[in-house]
Amino acid sequence: MAALETWRLPPRGVLLAAVLLLVGAEIGGASMARYKLELARWARAGMLAHPAAHGLVGVRDVDERALDEALFRFDAGLRLFHMHAEGMALVVIATTTVAATLARSAAPRRVLILLLTVGGVGYPLGYLIWCALIPAYGVERSKAIAEWLVWIPFGGATIVALLWLAVLTAACMVRR
Amino acid sequence: MTNRSADDTVSPVVGRPPLVVVFVAIVVIALGELGGAVLSQLRPATARWAAARIAANPQAHGLTGSAEYDDTIRERTVFSVEAGLSFFHTHAEGTGLVLFFAATLVASVVRRRMVRAVLYALLTIGALFPSGYLVYAIAVLQLGRDSGIELAERWVLAPLGSAAIVGLVGLALALGRRGPAPHPTEP
Repeated sequence: MAALETWRLPPRGVLLAAVLLLVGAEIGGASMARYKLELARWARAGMLAHPAAHGLVGVRDVDERALDEALFRFDAGLRLFHMHAEGMALVVIATTTVAATLARSAAPRRVLILLLTVGGVGYPLGYLIWCALIPAYGVERSKAIAEWLVWIPFGGATIVALLWLAVLTAACMVRR
Repeated sequence: MTNRSADDTVSPVVGRPPLVVVFVAIVVIALGELGGAVLSQLRPATARWAAARIAANPQAHGLTGSAEYDDTIRERTVFSVEAGLSFFHTHAEGTGLVLFFAATLVASVVRRRMVRAVLYALLTIGALFPSGYLVYAIAVLQLGRDSGIELAERWVLAPLGSAAIVGLVGLALALGRRGPAPHPTEP
């Protein structure tokens, strides 16, 4: 009888990082619902303290529209953190399991697992950074900061690692 | 690990599905990630391209030459294209994971080879469901909003989604059947 082909577990640190990200996602989702008003008040106070960043001109009708738009983006950023953190934690568990099982050589396996873990765990944090920066820097500038500091490097790492993993899986299929 | 009693229904191992199934799952997840990056970085360019395609295909979109009416049609159609691309991103991330975990369950708990093969096939076809949203985005531009959405739903989203549902129902039935978990040395 042929042996059942099985998965190998990724390193425990990887699983811990993914579980902590899941915990963060759940806490983030719960906090968004429980502290919605407090978060909105905090963001609004920060925006009023940095009028130039939001193009506030002192005219109530104009300013309220700008503040509403910025608060909408702030709320969207929190929701995107919640969703991406939940999704990426599962992506990290699934893809590092594949890497741990199919990558034969130790060094490439370590690099692949590192890229998948760091990229997957780091990427959703960009949404938190975006939200935290919106009150002080405005929507677009804070988005650019989050993009260059987090989304492009960490998202890039994940995409490169996933493509590498797809090639590795295809190579294993061809070898058989 | 293998000294289990006859009524032990907990498998000591987690089976791995065939590599082709793993490959499809990884590719779907990777395309989902890429789709999100493209959507984020090229949103203005995508909207411009969609608007140009609508202008080049006025009959399909029912453009009348009235600026106000045509602008409303254009905005709705560009929104539908962006929604299609956004749904592709979110669904590809989800269905890739569903395929990975569901196929792993199939490999671990389904004993009969034929049943496993059918379930793998259904789940793998179902994981291609997000491609329907790419068809949706393109068909909306080519055929007009309503006709494009109908085409994508009828010919791509419904069949692929149905395959995923049938595969998952089959897996649920297999899980619901009583009996010991497969032994690690079973084929």
